[in-house]
Amino acid sequence: MRLPVNFVRVRRSTVRVAATIAAVGTALGVQARASALPPVAADSESSTLFASGAKALHEGRAGDAVDLFEALADRGVVDAAASYDRGMAYAMRVRIGAEQGGDLGRAAQGFEEARELSRDSHLIDDASRALTTVRSEVARRRLRAGQPADVESGRTIARALAGVVPEDGWAIVCVVASMAFSVGLFLRWVGRTTRLRVAGGVSAGVAAPALTLAVAMTLASRHDRLELREAVVVSPSARPTDERGIALPGATSLPEGALVEVIDERGDSTRVRFGASDEWIASSAVRALAK
Amino acid sequence: MKRAADQAARAARLCAIFAGALVVLASSRAAGAQSPPQIDVQTDEPVAAVGDRVHVQATASSPEAMPGNPQLGPTPGFVVRGQTASPSQVVTFNNGSLTHGYTLTVDWVLEAQRVGTFQIGPPSFALGATRYSGRSVSLRVAPPGSAPRRRAPARPQSPFSFSPFDPWRNLFPDLSPPEPPPQAPVTIDPKLSLDAPRASDVFVHATVDKTSAVVGEEVLYNVYQYTETSLVGQTQSGDDHVPQVADFVKQSLLPDGPDRPTVGFASIGGKTWQVVALQRWALFPLRAGDLEITPLTENIAFALQRGMVARSSETLHVRVSDPPLSGRPPGYAQGQVGHFVLKAEVNPRSLQQGGAIEVRVELSGTGNLPTRLSPPAMEGVEWMAPEVHDSLGPNGQGHYGGQRTFDFLVHVNRAGSVDLGELTLPYFDPDPKRYEVARAALGVVRVAPSDAPKADAPASAERLPGLPPPRDALVNRPRTQKHLADSPVFWLGAVAGWPMALGVAVGGDAVLRRIARAWRRRRTSPAAELRDRIALARTAYDGSDARQVDAAIVRVLEAAAVANAGINVRGALGDEVVRRLEGAGVAHDAAASVAALLRECEQARFAPEAADLAAARDRWGRAERTIRMLERRG
Repeated sequence: MRLPVNFVRVRRSTVRVAATIAAVGTALGVQARASALPPVAADSESSTLFASGAKALHEGRAGDAVDLFEALADRGVVDAAASYDRGMAYAMRVRIGAEQGGDLGRAAQGFEEARELSRDSHLIDDASRALTTVRSEVARRRLRAGQPADVESGRTIARALAGVVPEDGWAIVCVVASMAFSVGLFLRWVGRTTRLRVAGGVSAGVAAPALTLAVAMTLASRHDRLELREAVVVSPSARPTDERGIALPGATSLPEGALVEVIDERGDSTRVRFGASDEWIASSAVRALAK
Repeated sequence: MKRAADQAARAARLCAIFAGALVVLASSRAAGAQSPPQIDVQTDEPVAAVGDRVHVQATASSPEAMPGNPQLGPTPGFVVRGQTASPSQVVTFNNGSLTHGYTLTVDWVLEAQRVGTFQIGPPSFALGATRYSGRSVSLRVAPPGSAPRRRAPARPQSPFSFSPFDPWRNLFPDLSPPEPPPQAPVTIDPKLSLDAPRASDVFVHATVDKTSAVVGEEVLYNVYQYTETSLVGQTQSGDDHVPQVADFVKQSLLPDGPDRPTVGFASIGGKTWQVVALQRWALFPLRAGDLEITPLTENIAFALQRGMVARSSETLHVRVSDPPLSGRPPGYAQGQVGHFVLKAEVNPRSLQQGGAIEVRVELSGTGNLPTRLSPPAMEGVEWMAPEVHDSLGPNGQGHYGGQRTFDFLVHVNRAGSVDLGELTLPYFDPDPKRYEVARAALGVVRVAPSDAPKADAPASAERLPGLPPPRDALVNRPRTQKHLADSPVFWLGAVAGWPMALGVAVGGDAVLRRIARAWRRRRTSPAAELRDRIALARTAYDGSDARQVDAAIVRVLEAAAVANAGINVRGALGDEVVRRLEGAGVAHDAAASVAALLRECEQARFAPEAADLAAARDRWGRAERTIRMLERRG
């Protein structure tokens, strides 16, 4: 008896529909990246302030430069170059011998913020170099004062791995791994030859852990972007306190310029994590990084 | 003879002295048994208003025993609110004689209840077994608010400077509370008035000169004690609980010391109140928000009452905001609010390279003057930490301000004409509500080059070597950038889409296979076969070929046997058909009918004569009934 439906044709149609779903989904997903907000130009007043600050920096007027770049920050301008130059202004004030307490920390904060905000590899490299210089100076001073010279705490392995690739990079890896995994299984399913089926199996076998890792790293990067609050110690004597703000006797102060993770804030105290230590310090002793 | 006369005269003198002493003793005994105590009655005010309190004081003095059991007597129109008794005893040794004095002073506090003139008393005291009365006093009660202003209660005084009962009164300083000076006519200050008093006698009232301010702006905070004028001098303040102002910088505007200045008089609720400043602070908010000033609590003791009462001021709130962002000059630091003036003096103007000059900066004005200035940092000019001198306090207008002097020592390591630039202090002036910048130009100093090796030169080179160059343009990267992972479409489409598509393909294929299998099974079942053959038989029935009808009936019966009894009767004839069907549980009638129909159909199909269509259609009718019989079995 002859069947009323051509099942071979139906099966082919099913595969086509599935492939269309995957292709459309990928396109829509990537479209989310493509529809990022267009660049917003700074207003003329901010541009003028930045230009004045940069001019003061070139002319060696570090105090004026600090004032101008801080005024820019007060206006809510978040820009990698502005943060970088602010750090440079504080560093220059130290350099010319007009240092005020906390200048090294504020310089480090500007450079850290520039690294965080920038996608320009040159700017990131320069900020990293300047950061190393500032932290070396802090370490030297702490060493002279008989304090531990560690200024950087280092990141956890997971956070370091997540930071190897930008968040969107991990997201693209997710897509590719997902595609490889699915295509591999598909070939394993429909392959007529042993060679094709083995190739599909291997592809799926490799892609599955890659997909798991990429998804985990993407989620970790996203969590860090949205939830992680980092700050830099901007006081030369950030002494750990208890929750009430009373200094703990015998506690070593956190190094100026150190990058810390902000865990909690209560009144005038901020709970920060620096390496393995978890301390309360005065809120005025840290300055948050803009994102 | 003469000796005898002398002895007689001496004896007569002794007798006279003895007799005199006996007379004095006897007379004093007699007097002690009968003399009443001296009772003096006074009142502080002959006229009072309804609700006012009046003091009636009675003093009973006796040289023999302490008067006791004081009673005021009738008090029409008044209610006794309190009574205080103060006994005292004085022993005087004078010219070999010992004199005792006993005094009991009783103070009654009466509260006027109704209008009229009333006789109070007379007060009475018991001395021994006898009760003695003084005089009554007449008090007039006026309607509320219409009584003449009351004077401070007078202390009872002896009409003479010397009292036989208290001869030491003027010898030692008076440790009792000083008497209030006689009051001059007061001027009521309407600014001190309130809608209603916060207590009937003494209360504390706090004010701020503004309820909204910016961070760093001066807020004048005053706490006043209001004392009803009749009680002035009769109260004593104990420990104060100072208000808590943790969110402010506090500067006192009152001079140090226990003195509390009287700021004026107020008329509240028909009474006159003396207003004394307890606290006067200039408060400078440290942060934005709704900031609280907790109450001041004062413990007050009344002279004629036991215990203390606590009086608290109001809890006040000040709404504090940040100064506007618009127009904020570079270098402005939070809290720099007020009105400031900068002056600078540089000395000397000429120096050797590497030498130092003194820069004296005077910062003056009103507000919370900054504690530090940012000097114009530039390469080759090194500003040392300044020495700071303050001269701050309340100014003539009652605001906080003054002058702060910064003495900088500045090392100049560059040769030539060095422009030191200018000192600037941006601030927010709260009166016009705009930013201003106080400036002081420092001018140029002439620096002669030094031949000596530059000892300080390497210091600047050592600091932070190898800094990269600054940037000259903003990046203008969008602050908020979308990320792939933020979109659910990304996760559902791009990441999960491929596995989902594979799932759709695999699942769809499996479903289709199952459907096909079911379809195929359904199409090849005996029941389906039977339905097909019945349909063909009906088609033949409607035709004109009798043999085709019979053939169709045979196929239908064979299919019905398979479908309903599970028995294939193809090829069987006669009894064999009946036997097979009965063996499968079919009733004999039905089995016989099937066998008969099969036989008749076979005979009709293969008969040589022409087939009878009507007979064939009749057989189809019988075949349908037989099939129903078989179905009932099934």
